[in-house]
Amino acid sequence: MPTNNINILVLLRETSDPRPPARTITRGAGISERGLRRLPNPGDLTALEEALQLKDKLGASVTVLAIGPKRLDDLLRLAASSGADRLIRLWDHGLERGDAVADARVLARVLEIMTPTLFLSGNRLPDRGDDPVPALASALRSQACVNSVVAFSTRKDALQVLRKSDRGGRQEVVAPYPCTLLFEEGATLRYPSVEALTGAIAASIENWDLSQLGLPFWEVGATGSHLTSAEFGVPRPDPVRVVTPDATLPAFERILSLLSGGIKAREGKLHQLAANATADSIWQILDEEGLTLKAAP
Amino acid sequence: MMFPYLFSPLKIGTVEVKNRISFQPHLTNFAVNCLPSERQMYYWGERAKGGAGLIITEEMSVHPTDMAYEKLIDVYHPEVIPGFKKITDYVHQYDAKIFAQLNHNGQQCDGAISRLPVWAPSPMPDVLFRETPKEMEPEDIEEVARYFGKSAIHAREGGFDGIELQFGHSSLARQFLSPLTNFRGDEYGGSLENRMRAPLKFISAVRKAVGNDFTLGIRMCADEMIPGGLDLAQVQEICARFEASGLIDFMDLSIATFYNLYLVEGSMHTPLGYTIPLAAGIRERIKLPVFCTGRINDPVMAEKVLAAGQADMIGMCRALICDPFLPKKAFEGRMDDIRYCVADNQGCIGRMGVNKRLGCIQNPAVGEEKQWGEGTLQKAAVKKKVVIVGGGPGGLWAAKMAGRRGHDVTLYDRNEALGGQVLTAMKGAGRDEFGVIIRNEKDQVTKAGAKVKLGDEMTVEKVLADKPDVVIIATGSQPKQHPVPGADGPSVCNVWQVLNNEVELGNNVCLIDYDGHHRASATAEFLANQGKTVHMITSSLFIAAELGPSQDLYLARQRLLQKGVTFTPDIAVMEVGGEAGAKTVKGFNVYSNAWNEWGPYDAIVLAMGQKADDSLYMGLKGKVNELYRIGDSVAPRKVDMAIWEGHRVGREI
Repeated sequence: MPTNNINILVLLRETSDPRPPARTITRGAGISERGLRRLPNPGDLTALEEALQLKDKLGASVTVLAIGPKRLDDLLRLAASSGADRLIRLWDHGLERGDAVADARVLARVLEIMTPTLFLSGNRLPDRGDDPVPALASALRSQACVNSVVAFSTRKDALQVLRKSDRGGRQEVVAPYPCTLLFEEGATLRYPSVEALTGAIAASIENWDLSQLGLPFWEVGATGSHLTSAEFGVPRPDPVRVVTPDATLPAFERILSLLSGGIKAREGKLHQLAANATADSIWQILDEEGLTLKAAP
Repeated sequence: MMFPYLFSPLKIGTVEVKNRISFQPHLTNFAVNCLPSERQMYYWGERAKGGAGLIITEEMSVHPTDMAYEKLIDVYHPEVIPGFKKITDYVHQYDAKIFAQLNHNGQQCDGAISRLPVWAPSPMPDVLFRETPKEMEPEDIEEVARYFGKSAIHAREGGFDGIELQFGHSSLARQFLSPLTNFRGDEYGGSLENRMRAPLKFISAVRKAVGNDFTLGIRMCADEMIPGGLDLAQVQEICARFEASGLIDFMDLSIATFYNLYLVEGSMHTPLGYTIPLAAGIRERIKLPVFCTGRINDPVMAEKVLAAGQADMIGMCRALICDPFLPKKAFEGRMDDIRYCVADNQGCIGRMGVNKRLGCIQNPAVGEEKQWGEGTLQKAAVKKKVVIVGGGPGGLWAAKMAGRRGHDVTLYDRNEALGGQVLTAMKGAGRDEFGVIIRNEKDQVTKAGAKVKLGDEMTVEKVLADKPDVVIIATGSQPKQHPVPGADGPSVCNVWQVLNNEVELGNNVCLIDYDGHHRASATAEFLANQGKTVHMITSSLFIAAELGPSQDLYLARQRLLQKGVTFTPDIAVMEVGGEAGAKTVKGFNVYSNAWNEWGPYDAIVLAMGQKADDSLYMGLKGKVNELYRIGDSVAPRKVDMAIWEGHRVGREI
């Protein structure tokens, strides 16, 4: 594969900020949309930045794909302002409530149509912990896939990739083109210029639906899924560490010790003395604390 | 939804509980002839109706030697089953689960009731019951285990969804587990493995009796809170071993023993949620669902506990005695309507301690749910014009109930704020939470459609000018003006004047406690907090003598002593003498009859009784169609009677 004609596809997803507590919906199975704060997936932004750096270095073309409703246009405009060449948003109501396998079929079909040299994306979605769809899509295309990518370099007919291995180890692998790289959150996306931001408002976004993919409806979305959501519950929160209070303390003080987590109130002593006596007293305190220089014996 | 954790279901063994609120086990004294009663059915049913996901009954006796109280259910008799079925069917109609708690109290029993020797691991008397027990022989232990099994079958046949074994603060099992009460040299004493042998026998017997398809858990004492007793680290190990036995499905927790009963049922002076860290400590070690309890009276706090992973189930006891519908109101986001428990303890624990039926100072319907429970209030057949004078707790309840029944109600109070004597009482040291009683009701009065007029001192003429059909006098009481000779001079005042900052006191103060209640001790502490030297003289055996049943006595005395307050008991005060700023107290010892004089003091504070404020009632007598008086204006008593009478008259007019 010639390195001066690299065609890169970046998948850009949105994720929920995992910090505010999620609430489950009261009927059916799912998470309530109310109060959720949506973010561009940090790993995907790292993938986009890596793609743009490759474009800067080798003149590669960068296409950014978002799969979801119209609000994802904002993500694509962000990509456009940063330097992406082509923007595609794919959405169809038939894609709703698909499981990982059904969604992977869709993504695999996009890869088949676009035939990118490199397909880049984030390794995981922070709100759910993982997202197997890009890896499954690559598998459906029989395409090499490397996860937890830390760095990579291009060769004439292959990629040399450094990836995270178990227990903090690093592994170097060589992957043939076409190839999928899944990034850990790392390099931050460049800041676009004001002109680029303004220009992105008018950027052209291609809207694709199922008819462009040529996939039958029974292979995608809820109908194409193996899994059905029956129930959704909040997880058992992690227990907190509790220190056993000193068993010799009186009972009520033990309770207070438990409630304070073992932190004791700061104690102080009030000395009301004349000036000379105050100076002597301060000297004595410093001496008791070992903060004075003692004369050698 | 405001509380997603609190209202998420929880699987406990084989049952799924619809939310995380458990109405915790507690004595009621509602059993009749040691059998389940209709009163219990309505009592537990009301909490199920109010939205609690789980009800755990009060302890039930598994063996004839276990007679800690007269009115417990003897679950080892098969005669209990029909009554159980009525109770469980009633609770189940509200989509709640109900567990039976089985217990043997061991040394914490009264042989005078059972006319049998008390059984315990070692012949060591309990600090409260003070009866030397018989050291259980191995065959006694086997017999109790058999009775546990037999009792469990009765509970299952009675329709309960699960069983909780009481291994907590008052239980034979805890006495076996604790090095404080188990001095045996055989296979049931010594090492932890040996000390766990008898409790494990009890669990095994119950599991064998009910089978594996039935939920079974235990209530452990998470920390005995006494040197030499079980502490959190030891209980963590015990709980881990119980869990490893594979015999139980959940771990409920209590705290302390009868050495420090004031921690089992922490009063207003105990921090909210005071045992939560212990539950978190146990949950750190085991995977089973862990229940916590201990002054959790607020769904906001409950939600935080669950979200922080400190417990899996929130035990609410007094909170649901006070407001059975707290879960429903929390679910619907009606936080303003929740009647929060203030842990005053006079109506619940204070009554239990003297063998009365369970009550609640804020909820007159406790134990009366059949006639006064939710849905029993009827609209009045004839709409009447009702004037209520006095906006204390009694007047508020009368106005609320009458308003809800459709009467045209106007509530007058001479002060600029509702609350009556509560506004003063809550100024005592550590008594500020008492004011929540007024917070709980004042909005309910206006929601009931009653009009409130403040700053209006009512007279006979003004009341008559309103042309009311009904007048309810709730004018409360005042401190007695002249209880002993010399007690009306300068430098002599009453507790109300002190708490309302109406008087200047010197540094050296004597408080005469004929009250024995918070009125005296909280005022003494209020003064001690200001750095004053306080001496208390009482005619009782000890100061704060009335605070024992409500579990306030220990900590009140501890705080007073820590703040340098001194006491002289057994004294009948006969005269207050001396000059202003150098007052003396004269009296005699009620046992030796020896006279003495105390002082001089800068000031004397009197807690020597109240006088009913009944002048308006007397003036209106015979001049209105219906005239009632309630609360202290009839006779000075406590807040529970004011609320009770206000509730009743509001229902009946």
